[in-house]
Formats: sequence, C-alpha cells, structure tokens
Amino acid sequence: MPLIDVSKMKKKFGSLEVLKEISFQVEKGDVIAVIGSSGSGKSTMLRCLIDLETMNGGSVMVKNEYLIQNGVYAKSADVKKITSQMGMVFQHFNLFPHLTVKENLCLAPRSILKEEKSKIEAHCKELLEKIGLSDKAMEYPSRLSGGQKQRVAIARALMARPEIMLFDEPTSALDPELTGEVLDVIKKLAKENMTMIIVTHEMSFARDAANKVMFMDGGKILEENTPEIIFKNPTCQRTREFLNSVIR
Amino acid sequence: MSGTMGYFWNVTSYLLSGAGATALLFFIVILLSLPLGFCLTLMVRSKFKPLSVVANSYIYVIRGTPLLLQLLFVYFGLPYIPMIGKYFIFERFTAAIIGFILNYAAYFAEIFRGGLLSIDKGQYEAAKVLGFGKFKTQILIILPQMFRVALPSVANEAVTLVKDTALLYAVSVPEILHHAQSVVSRDANVLALLIAAVIYLILNLILTVFFKWLERKANFD
Repeated sequence: MPLIDVSKMKKKFGSLEVLKEISFQVEKGDVIAVIGSSGSGKSTMLRCLIDLETMNGGSVMVKNEYLIQNGVYAKSADVKKITSQMGMVFQHFNLFPHLTVKENLCLAPRSILKEEKSKIEAHCKELLEKIGLSDKAMEYPSRLSGGQKQRVAIARALMARPEIMLFDEPTSALDPELTGEVLDVIKKLAKENMTMIIVTHEMSFARDAANKVMFMDGGKILEENTPEIIFKNPTCQRTREFLNSVIR
Repeated sequence: MSGTMGYFWNVTSYLLSGAGATALLFFIVILLSLPLGFCLTLMVRSKFKPLSVVANSYIYVIRGTPLLLQLLFVYFGLPYIPMIGKYFIFERFTAAIIGFILNYAAYFAEIFRGGLLSIDKGQYEAAKVLGFGKFKTQILIILPQMFRVALPSVANEAVTLVKDTALLYAVSVPEILHHAQSVVSRDANVLALLIAAVIYLILNLILTVFFKWLERKANFD
C-alpha cells in the first residue's frame, strides 16, 4: 500500500493546463526528487498535494484516505486532517518575521495542536540541535542567513511530526555556498527514513539523496526511475536534453 | 519683571485649562477610531461585494470632504434630518468626538489596508500548511506584522490629530487655541499664540517619543 497514491491529477490555471492527468505513487521512506524545467508543473504538483492549489480533477489518496476522489474533494475537516500529515518547506522560507526562531517553531504546536508546554519546548530544543542552530533560538529571522532561515523553516515543519515532507525548491533562493548546509539537513532526514518529495534544481543532490527521480515536462511526468537510470541512461529524449543542458 | 512673569503664568495656566479638552478628545478618538478603522479595512477586503462598496464609498466621502465640514455637519446638520434628526442632537463635545472618530477611522482604514498589502502571500501559505485556520492566521501572524508596518503612518496621523483638535473651535468647545485667541484679542498681545504653539509642540514631542519607542519595541531584529 503506497503512502500517497496520485492518479490523474489535473490542474488548470484559466485555460492553461499545468498538470495533465499525472499519476504516481509514494512509498513509505521514499525520497523522490522532482526535476524539470521551470513551468513544467513541479511546484504546482506539490502545492496540490498539500491543498495550496485546488485541483481540477483526479484522485489523491494519502494513507488510504481520499483527499480528492475523481475530482471531488473530501470534507474540509478531512482535507485539513489529511494535509496535516504533511509538512512543507518553501523556496522563500516564509518564516514569521515578527517571531523569534523558537516562537516560529512553537507557535503552531502551542496554539493549534495544544501540546503540553514542556513537551513542545523539548521537541523544539531537539530539532534546533538537529539543524545545528541551538544558539539562534532567541534570534529574529532577519538576523539569520538564507541557509539558516531555511533550516529553521525545516525544523518548524518538523514540529508537527509530519509523515511526509514536501520541499519546493528549498535551495533555489540561496547563495551557492549556503545550499550545502540545507541539503545536509535534508540528507539527515533521509537517513532517518523520512518520506520526502523534493522539487529541486540540484542534480547532484537528486543523484545522491533520492531513491527515485521524477522528470516532469509540460505538465506530465515523462520519466520516473532510480537516479542511476535517469542520470546515466534515460529513456526519453527530452530527459536527455534537459540533463545535458543542466549538467555540463 | 514680576508683572511680566505673572502675566505669562496667568496666560499659560489659562491655555492649559483648554489642553484638558484637547487631551481627552485625543485619547477617545485614538482609542475608538483605530478599531473602527480596522473594521473598515476588513469590510473593504470582504469578498461580499456590498460590504466593500459601502466601506469604500464611506472612505471616499470622508477623505474627500474637509474635516471641518464634517464636524459642522455632525453638530449642526444632523438634527435637521427629517424624522430621525431628533435622535442626533449631541452636546458640542460629543458631536466633535463623533466627527473626529468617523474621520480618523477612514484614514486608519487606508493605513491598515496598506499594511495588509505589504504582507507576502507566503505568510498565508506557511500559516495554512502549519494548520492555522483563517482566524488564527489573522490574529497570530498577519495582524502583528500589519501593525508593525502601519506604525509610522499611525504615528503621523496621531500628530495630525493633536493639531486637528484646534478644530474644536468650530463647534465652540473651549480648547487651547480658542483660549489663546480670546487672550490675544483681549490684551492686544500675541504672547498667548506663542505659548499655544509651545504647548502643541510639547504634546507632539511626547507623542513622537512614545511612537519612536513603540517602533523600537516592535522591531523584529
């Protein structure tokens, strides 16, 4: 039983078809790198999964529950429950600038999940240690570098103990020398068997960290395979062209 | 010498007796027009069309006409409305407060709207994926950021309000300027106007220092 089962996911912006009935499955522990040129629908696919975009058709099943079935969404309370099993990290971090790092992490568990204060604090401390930013707990995001911000954003998403993490170009807004520290955190999560879907332009990262690579083009998944095959011996001509243009 | 000083203190204390009305008006208007202004902002942004049309028209009328006219209208004009006019007969000071609140709320509404526009849509998205509902998103994430952005403009309006209190004169509520002018014409001496200017400056200095302190407090770094 796959953790996520997507079939014929469809998304239109006006008359523009961004996702043309795409289907794929995510198994528990999968680390899926989604690659492809801009406008191919990668980010939209991710945003549809966590209900930031409304799909125009298809079915998505998460842990055996339908988020949407043949174009009909579940009740909004169920949608909320299903999407709450996923955490998301954005290209532009989207930290809350008026809150300290610690408050960024603790706000949701405290005001939504209503967890015990001591439990929240312990979890927060543990996650800050994991991303190597224990000393920044009391800083405001404006004081952090891009890489540090993104690591905090990852920790914030992990506070809700999601089963699936979605990353939308997590290193695209970073200076090249800062991407490493963010990718290291993601690799750490991969080692802990976190299920992840990562939209990325970092080909070497996709090759090293992912167990599946998905190539998207023009709103379709053209090819999905292990990184070895995708990078060494892709079946599609289009995949080959894309890889040739991004890897010199 | 003591005669001059005596005159100075006499005039000053007389003017300060009018400062009470100024201060009272200021605090009541600020306290009530800020929340009312925010309600207007929410109405303007409402997806329910009639609500946003009403709020936008209101803001347009208020910003498009002089405050003085509005004060005169509330005090002198409202009682003349057929049928319901008799329910709108107010004391001078009350009428002035109502006029000021209605006026400043419109300006604050526009300031808050600007503050909301400055907030990136990523903030709403991050809030959503973390599980915040619409209401909690507004209260915990959007409003604090909006107030921070709006603070300098709110400070600006507050300073303007202190000076606008001189318009109380129009509905014959004794205040600083009113007293000053009566002293000037009584004694044929402009000292009272200078003292009035200094009192306004001191009030606004206090306000400016306060808002600067608030801005520093609300600085997120």
